[in-house]
Amino acid sequence: MRKIMRAKHSLVSVVDDDESVRESLPDLLRELGFAVQAFSSAEEFLASNYVDKTNCLILDVAMPGMTGPDLQRELKLRRQEIPIVFITARKDETIRPRLIELGAVDCLFKPFSDTALLAALNVALRVN
Amino acid sequence: MAESAKPANDVPLETSIPAASLESILCTDELQRRPSRPHDYEKENCALVKLVSALADSPTTILQTLAETILDITQSDSAGLSLLTRDGKTPDVCGKRFYWPAIAGMWNPHVGGGTPRDFGPCGDVLDQNRTLLFRHFERRYPYLLPVIPAAEECLLVPFYVAGEAVGTIWAIMHSDRRRFDAEDNRVMASLGKFASSAYQALTHIEDLKFQVSEREKAEAEVRELARGLEAKIRRLVEANVVGIVMWNLEGAITGANEAFLRMVQYDREDLASGRVRSTDLTPAEWRSHDEQAVAELKATGIFQAFEKEYFRKDGSRVPVLLGGALFEGNRNEGVAFVLDLSEQKRVERALRRSESFLAESQRLSLTGSFSWKAATGEITWSEQLYRIYEFEIGVPVTLELIRTRVHPEDVTLLEKMVEQTRNGSNDFEWQYRLLMPDHSIKCMYAVAHATRDQDGQLEYIAAVQDVTARRLSEDALDKARLELAHVARVTSLGALTASIAHEVNQPLSGIVTNASACLHMLAADPPNVEGARETARRTIRDSNRASEVIGRLRALFSKKSSTSDSVDLNEAAREVIALSLSELQRNRVILRPELADDLPPITGDRVQLQQVILNLLRNASDALSVVEDRPRQLLVRTEPDEGNRVRLTVQDSGVGFDPQLADRLFEAFYSTKNDGMGMGLSVSRSIIESHHGRLWASLNNGPGATFSFSIPCRPAGAPDAHNLEARRPPAGRNAA
Repeated sequence: MRKIMRAKHSLVSVVDDDESVRESLPDLLRELGFAVQAFSSAEEFLASNYVDKTNCLILDVAMPGMTGPDLQRELKLRRQEIPIVFITARKDETIRPRLIELGAVDCLFKPFSDTALLAALNVALRVN
Repeated sequence: MAESAKPANDVPLETSIPAASLESILCTDELQRRPSRPHDYEKENCALVKLVSALADSPTTILQTLAETILDITQSDSAGLSLLTRDGKTPDVCGKRFYWPAIAGMWNPHVGGGTPRDFGPCGDVLDQNRTLLFRHFERRYPYLLPVIPAAEECLLVPFYVAGEAVGTIWAIMHSDRRRFDAEDNRVMASLGKFASSAYQALTHIEDLKFQVSEREKAEAEVRELARGLEAKIRRLVEANVVGIVMWNLEGAITGANEAFLRMVQYDREDLASGRVRSTDLTPAEWRSHDEQAVAELKATGIFQAFEKEYFRKDGSRVPVLLGGALFEGNRNEGVAFVLDLSEQKRVERALRRSESFLAESQRLSLTGSFSWKAATGEITWSEQLYRIYEFEIGVPVTLELIRTRVHPEDVTLLEKMVEQTRNGSNDFEWQYRLLMPDHSIKCMYAVAHATRDQDGQLEYIAAVQDVTARRLSEDALDKARLELAHVARVTSLGALTASIAHEVNQPLSGIVTNASACLHMLAADPPNVEGARETARRTIRDSNRASEVIGRLRALFSKKSSTSDSVDLNEAAREVIALSLSELQRNRVILRPELADDLPPITGDRVQLQQVILNLLRNASDALSVVEDRPRQLLVRTEPDEGNRVRLTVQDSGVGFDPQLADRLFEAFYSTKNDGMGMGLSVSRSIIESHHGRLWASLNNGPGATFSFSIPCRPAGAPDAHNLEARRPPAGRNAA
């Protein structure tokens, strides 16, 4: 309950080119008590007004155009220290340590449970 | 000159003075009454002797001599002859006019003149058939008025040939210094007889002259002809188009032209020395032919052309055609033409060899041929076709006979084919089976070409091949290809695992997240039923999506025999793109599909074609994976192609390939990749070719390569997909 309370003050932005993720994930996050904004690409997110307001970014790794790690790099360049939780459908165990090394909070492999998601968000928001 | 005596004045002049009667101008009776001068036999004899010798010596002037003799003996003023003539010159008893060939005395200038046969003094003499004495005959015949000096008296005596009066001799007194008497009458009668002889002699001479001239003319013509003929023969001999030889029956060759000498490789010197003998030139086995020719020559003077051989000087042989004849009037020597048949024999040999090659090729390739006249039903088969059908060679072939051999299941096809070909004139090809007496089955492939015979009738020329063995190996090959394709697919599967996992995980993620959201919504107080319903709906949607992905994968990686269906190439490409998208994205490849809206469906095996597309996308992706200095672009394009085909192109901006190795790209086990089996493109090409299509690679103008395939919407000769399969007899039926 405490987690949820904390979450209520947090804006989580979801960036994924997969529509079903953009539909389902925000629903779940809202149920978990977060405010949510969904974007279909990294470029769309960067162009929006939510970059500064976002407390945590749930970011797909592989996207056409700018990829998740590209956005991560761009935000770092812009000194936007937003905690990032990567999500990916490609179960490549080598990618996770690399992304964490680059500053990511975690990398979740699709499909992931709401518990795993919540745990990652908690870490991210505590960091924040 | 006696103008009035010319033919133009034959008609009496119109005159106001009535013409005197004949009786009034005749005084013949007076001859006997007048005192007569004494006979002068000596003079008469001399004159006659002179005339006879003149006739012998100078027949051309005999008439003039006669006229002068008359003048002399009768002591008249003018004397001459009148001869009946047709042309004004030549004596002729049926002539219509008298002419004066010879005149002595005062009327001499009138030589060549004359009088009409039916109205004139000479005519009167002939009509009365006796000597007449005229006085001033111009009184009756006014056309004689201009003939001067006028005739006081004219004694006219007829002369005869074979009892026929042909002319007159006459003597004229232009004054009354003397009158004709009985002596004149007698002498003139005597000279008349001579005139007759002279006339006959002249006629005879004329005849002779005519004959001589005719003969000369004929001889000249013969000479001309001979000259022409000789020139022609000489031309023939010298043209050396054919060999010409002169020979005798002893076997000597006495003359020959260059063509003959060339044929047998001898020269003029050899010929002159007598070394060239027909008997020596003839090989032993041909001598009997020569003997026959000689026998024929002796019997008929000629020998009909026959073929034989001659030895050349170098001992080789030359085949010739020989024909000839004895010279006219010569029983021993003759001439012959000799035609070199080397080229003809070579062509015959080549033709025979070609025919035997054809027969051998037909035997080796198990291909027979036949012709079929549609109108008459006449069928001609090659020997090999008899062998294929196992009919006795030479039995008359009919459609009924063929029907007994065609597999019962293909008989309807045969009848349909016959019906079509009878009506139309298109080329056709046809696959069918034969059921042999031992119950084995033969697979046949026939190709027929429609043509028109000499009479313009429709005729088919066809080749029929026994493809049983090939069909068996094709079936085995198909099976092997299927196995290989499966191996290649499974190999692709390994490489695609990550991509597949992505494709499956994506909807699974949706399912799990939606389900979680749903549970939270239902657990809320109050429960968010509407939200839960929406998330449940999305869960179902994502489950279906996952199911589709699984199904697609199962289809792509299953091992099943090829099928032939109507395939939407766009749809097939979209599915493959969907499966590959994540792999491409991972490789940071920007894929741009350009799928034509109006693409016609094709007939083929959807899964096999998708395998080709997948393979091309993977190759492109691999070629792009090392590119760092430019966008990794990939274009997939579909479009209608020429000739009712469709084309799919995969164009990348990758590393391309070595143009020198372009031909090897499609070889099996050739790979430019370290981890490649080298089967992908080989299998792909095999698949495309089994769809009657073509797969090729080309380098782009810029970086990268383009791989394209083009396949017909319907395979050649297949009316539709169903028929495509029906045309092909299953391998299992080949009991042989």
